[in-house]
Amino acid sequence: MSELWEVLTEHLPEFTSGFWVTVRLVAISFAIAIAVGTLIAGLRVQPIRWLRWVGGVYVEIFRNIPLLVLLVISFLGLRRAGVPISPWVAGTGSLGLYTAAYVAEALRSGVFAVGKGQIEASLSLGFTYPQTLRRIVLPQAFRTVIPALGSLVIAMIKNSAIVGVSVVALSDLLKQARIVQSQTFQADETFFWAAVGYLILTGSATLAFRYLERRFAIRR
Amino acid sequence: MSYLFDSSNWEWVTTGNNMRFLLEGFAINLEIAAIAIVFSLIFGLLLALARISKLRPLSIVAGIWVDVWRNLPLIFVILYMAIAMPTSWRDAYEEVVPSFFPEALQSGRVLAALLALVLYNSAVLAEIMRSGILSLERGQTEAAASLGLTYRQQMRFVVLPQGLRRMVPATVSQLITLNKDTTLVSIIAIQEVMSAGSILSSFNFFGGVPAPVLQVFIVVGAFFVVVNLVLSRLSRRLEIRERQRTGTTLRRVGGLEDQVAAEADVELAGESER
Repeated sequence: MSELWEVLTEHLPEFTSGFWVTVRLVAISFAIAIAVGTLIAGLRVQPIRWLRWVGGVYVEIFRNIPLLVLLVISFLGLRRAGVPISPWVAGTGSLGLYTAAYVAEALRSGVFAVGKGQIEASLSLGFTYPQTLRRIVLPQAFRTVIPALGSLVIAMIKNSAIVGVSVVALSDLLKQARIVQSQTFQADETFFWAAVGYLILTGSATLAFRYLERRFAIRR
Repeated sequence: MSYLFDSSNWEWVTTGNNMRFLLEGFAINLEIAAIAIVFSLIFGLLLALARISKLRPLSIVAGIWVDVWRNLPLIFVILYMAIAMPTSWRDAYEEVVPSFFPEALQSGRVLAALLALVLYNSAVLAEIMRSGILSLERGQTEAAASLGLTYRQQMRFVVLPQGLRRMVPATVSQLITLNKDTTLVSIIAIQEVMSAGSILSSFNFFGGVPAPVLQVFIVVGAFFVVVNLVLSRLSRRLEIRERQRTGTTLRRVGGLEDQVAAEADVELAGESER
């Protein structure tokens, strides 16, 4: 038992720096995912057919490709092609674009959950289509997709470990745990503390989104 | 851009036996996925049943177990299993593994990978199945009980067939995620499509020009997109037919990466409105 604490106290700087790298990685990627995901969802619900098709292709490609493949393409692949992409850009870009496909799907289902009558009413009041989307549909859609977004944030926290371990050399929590493990040879103890770190992150994301869900619940 | 569309870079993927080499690696991924799917479904159902069990201690222990494993990164579990699994397990696996299995699956590290995949995915699937079972109206179990069915009979003939059917889309999307996640086993040096891709892109052409990474892995990605698209289309079709036949409604579940289930839910709602 004392060994368990020793590993933590002696290597606290490594664990905390890894923890914050993971947090930053998830935060930046989530911002990218929301921005791109909203754009793609917008493409998928607007009336022009070929633009809808473009959105659909994006979703199907990024949802069905493994994140690890995406990371290899965006880091090793682009570097060998002569593009000097930085680990942070490749890591957050891959994780963000990957999750954006799921965000787009969640938002799209949220948009469809908004009654058709609302859109018709808004159009008949003289709003243009983009205005309807921005002022009537999206605010309501975001509310219904809060639980789905929560799931995605939790998935992102877990997927961020792939970024650190794979080709992209970012020292996130799992990477730091492996460094500590290679120095101390205490696999159980170091992985225990890394697990605690991840469970703190996923647990607080769960609680935060549960709160948001209650806060923005539609009272009928 | 010229690099991306340079035909000699693309030709490398199909030169000699290269394409075959990649496809053989991809077959290993599919085989690992298939084994992991079978065991994850079995253990997932057992965990779900333990979690809704009326035995308080059992349901609490199962609840903690499920919540811990499904909230850890899968790659973390894989790495931990590879480091911490006793060598005796590894040796035991190497002894019992059938000889007709491909060479890549003969290695003891595959056991660590499979254990990790099953630990993680059975926990996720247990949560999916549990919410499917809980979404069933209480009247169903009460009716079954008043007809004189025992708990086991209620589960088998009334609750599970309806509850699990609702969760088919969510389960399928999790299995597609599992299929993608098999690429992670390359981290513990199992020879599959990612390692095949890195071998292919480690060559140097004449004049010291390194082989392309981008093109090779775009092709690897395309393998996954094709297989997963076929799987999801197939399941969608089955699901729609099944739903028309039985008239069951679908439920969504929290904590999933993929929200295909949610989408199907909405489509159904749209259908009933029309």
